Amino acid sequence: MRVLRHPLLHWALAIGLGAAFVYASVDKIAKPAEFAKIVYSYRLVGPGQSLGYVPANALAVTLPWVEAVAGLLLILGLWRREAAALVSALLVVFLIAVGQALLRGIGVENCGCFGLGGGGRGAGLLLILEDLGLLAVSLFLTLMTPAAWADWRHIDGPDRAL
Amino acid sequence: MVVAGVLLGFAWNAWSGRGLTLAGNAFIRPGEHLEEIDALEAKRRFDRGALFFDARPLDFYGLSHIPGARPFPENDFDAAFSRLEPLLKSRFDLVVYCTSLCDASHQVARRLRDKGIHAAILVDGLPAWTDAGHPVREGQEP
Repeated sequence: MRVLRHPLLHWALAIGLGAAFVYASVDKIAKPAEFAKIVYSYRLVGPGQSLGYVPANALAVTLPWVEAVAGLLLILGLWRREAAALVSALLVVFLIAVGQALLRGIGVENCGCFGLGGGGRGAGLLLILEDLGLLAVSLFLTLMTPAAWADWRHIDGPDRAL
Repeated sequence: MVVAGVLLGFAWNAWSGRGLTLAGNAFIRPGEHLEEIDALEAKRRFDRGALFFDARPLDFYGLSHIPGARPFPENDFDAAFSRLEPLLKSRFDLVVYCTSLCDASHQVARRLRDKGIHAAILVDGLPAWTDAGHPVREGQEP
């Protein structure tokens, strides 16, 4: 479909997705200890007797910044496809974290997904659906090349504007 | 991008003044001194007659608790403290626990410390105790 290559659509989706990731990162960056507690609750990278606290704490300290960098690049339109690919990878990691918590019966009361409050949500099927929706957007931005503004009126297609 | 994010994260953690100790438990604030013990040490103290406190909400206490533990729900700290103050001040070997990776035991230990009472925290709480095969009791009686 021709409209899927419209540069305005790509800009709008990139800004929306980027804003969501920047918003999601701010609270976690401001309060890394609080975010670390949420990371602990997933029990994916500790803490535990063998792993100690370092992997979970390191993830809590760095993950929000990776989210923020990817989100900012999406908003600014710099390395958009690469940033979208990184966001896709992050979303896959989130899906694995939530999925393994559900499969192992680990009660994650606060998903930590949009800020430390997590919107009052725990890890559940609704969260997986939301992440899949965001993943669809990020994969779209990664895989679909937008038309250049100058070329937009010259693209052939069945629904070409008259 | 990933490298930039990771470097920014570590730099912010080191210099922002909001960072956490990478090798430490995030439930303990930087520079704070709270004693944490594992299930093995908790059992040693249990056998020596240490007094245990359950910082979870009362409903959870009724479902399962460490034998002899007194309910000390963090969400009702003041009432619990008033009730237990004579006991708390007559004993020196105190251990507080909640469930795994919860904040309630740390909050109770912190507030007790502010009142001049030392209590150790059982890391990973009741699940660590039961995973180690130690006994539990049901009901509202200690």
